[in-house]
Amino acid sequence: MRAIWTGSLGFGLVNIPIKIFSAVQDSALDLDMLDSKDHANIKFKRVNEKTGKEVPWENIVKGYYMDNKYVVLEKADFEKAGPEKTKHIEIKHFVDESEIDSMYFEQPYYLQPEKTGARAYALLRDAFRKTGKAGVALFVMRDREHLCIIKAKDDVLVLNRIRFDEEIRSTKDLDLPSVKSKPDEVKMAVALINQLSGPFDIKKYRDDYTERLMKIIKAKSKGKTVPFTPMKVVHSKTKDLAEQLRASLSDKRKAS
Amino acid sequence: MPVKEKSDIKVGKFSVTISNRKKIYWPDEGFTKGDMIDYYDKIADLVLPHLKGRPLSLKRNPNGITDKGFYHKDAGENAPSFVDVFKVKAESNNKIIDYIVCNNKATLLYVANLGCIELNPWNSTIKKPDNPTWMVIDIDPSDKNTFTEVVDTALATKMILDKAGIKSYCKTSGSSGLHVYTPLKNKYDYEAVRNFANIIAALVQEQLPGTTTLERSLSKRGPKIYIDYLQNSKGQTLASVYSLRPVPGASVSTPLEWKEVDHKLSPKQFTMRNIFARIKKKGDLFLPVLNESNSITDALKRLKV
Repeated sequence: MRAIWTGSLGFGLVNIPIKIFSAVQDSALDLDMLDSKDHANIKFKRVNEKTGKEVPWENIVKGYYMDNKYVVLEKADFEKAGPEKTKHIEIKHFVDESEIDSMYFEQPYYLQPEKTGARAYALLRDAFRKTGKAGVALFVMRDREHLCIIKAKDDVLVLNRIRFDEEIRSTKDLDLPSVKSKPDEVKMAVALINQLSGPFDIKKYRDDYTERLMKIIKAKSKGKTVPFTPMKVVHSKTKDLAEQLRASLSDKRKAS
Repeated sequence: MPVKEKSDIKVGKFSVTISNRKKIYWPDEGFTKGDMIDYYDKIADLVLPHLKGRPLSLKRNPNGITDKGFYHKDAGENAPSFVDVFKVKAESNNKIIDYIVCNNKATLLYVANLGCIELNPWNSTIKKPDNPTWMVIDIDPSDKNTFTEVVDTALATKMILDKAGIKSYCKTSGSSGLHVYTPLKNKYDYEAVRNFANIIAALVQEQLPGTTTLERSLSKRGPKIYIDYLQNSKGQTLASVYSLRPVPGASVSTPLEWKEVDHKLSPKQFTMRNIFARIKKKGDLFLPVLNESNSITDALKRLKV
């Protein structure tokens, strides 16, 4: 694992030198685009829309279309708008993690202390664990300032980037029902929910698409073909119904 | 010879009084009530086996197809002596309903004279009222669907039923849809048949999620074809095979060979006028629905649900 950010984490008078690692990985396979004729890799070129000629990187600028023309931004303009470059994450205050709606959550990262910060890291982690709280902070990565929370998960401190409020869309354009549900129906639905409720176990759910694809790749590399089996979609509702029907049919057989 | 407004038709030892023969029932085509009576008179031998022993829900359109008409179940009380009656206690109010059971041609003409353009027999007979003779899937399009989509839904239904090892028969509804029947010979009760139909309908809907729905509520259904499995309930009825429908064109609910169920099929191509030539050629394609049988238990195994 390679650290993607090095700096320090602080709250109050404590300052912990840390490294940041990405906590997630893509489970999808990395597939390359090829020419079907000779399997040569497909390459992208940046071309001038008018001339069709390739444009070298150093000649490419970014612009914003406004009042019928482009306003071109220079590196200096971005720097002026950008946050003060800082390698420090300061926890401003602490909240209950459950207060933060899951809609706000973005990328999670692991924090690892440098040798000199080990004791303070352990202290902060244990305090988080004891209180169940999370720290709210701002940090700068790749020239942008991000909002994040820092919390303990088992032995590690996790930094979870969260969205700013203006990134969440309003629901005013959605057509949402305003009818009041009938109490009896609500009661039934609640009973059903309770019946199907259980602890959340992420290990029960697997994305096995990649696994199946990898099986096909391996078989193909050995020259074998995998028989095509269409996806069998049987809703669990249908399954339940079939189960019920089968039971009632066998009951009747016994009875008669 | 001028057509008389009122006349009697002799059926064996019975006599059925026919009234208002000249009343226009299909204004676009100019077909009269008399034309309708004559149709049922002529088709009687073919349709009666499909009505025999089955309580009828009367859908009466005494003013022809432009009128909405009304439902009339409790029609047996004042009926002539040749009409058989089956008493059913209504679950809602404990009232006894005298259903007409159409066991003979005289009864057929009697209900036709009441303005029953459409014939709505139960799926079960009075011998085993709780066990339907068949399972039916009613493929009922919204006015936004093309008939091609209806045909594709019927074919998907056949595909699923084939996979289940179950033989099925298709007919036009006589209006805009198709009906798929599976003979079951009264082996299962309504609940089992309805649950099985629900499974089949759900599997079909999974095949065609873009055009079909199992949503019963008309307002929530949207521009989709309703795969109706709920008709498999006691007292629920669909227009019988060879029944006319109170719709323009005087179309007939007509049995089809599966090979005819393709994109060239039109829902109203068989009418009161041209059906007899077809019957002469094909015979009663729906007779097996009354006689054959299928196993739901085996079907569930084959479907692996």
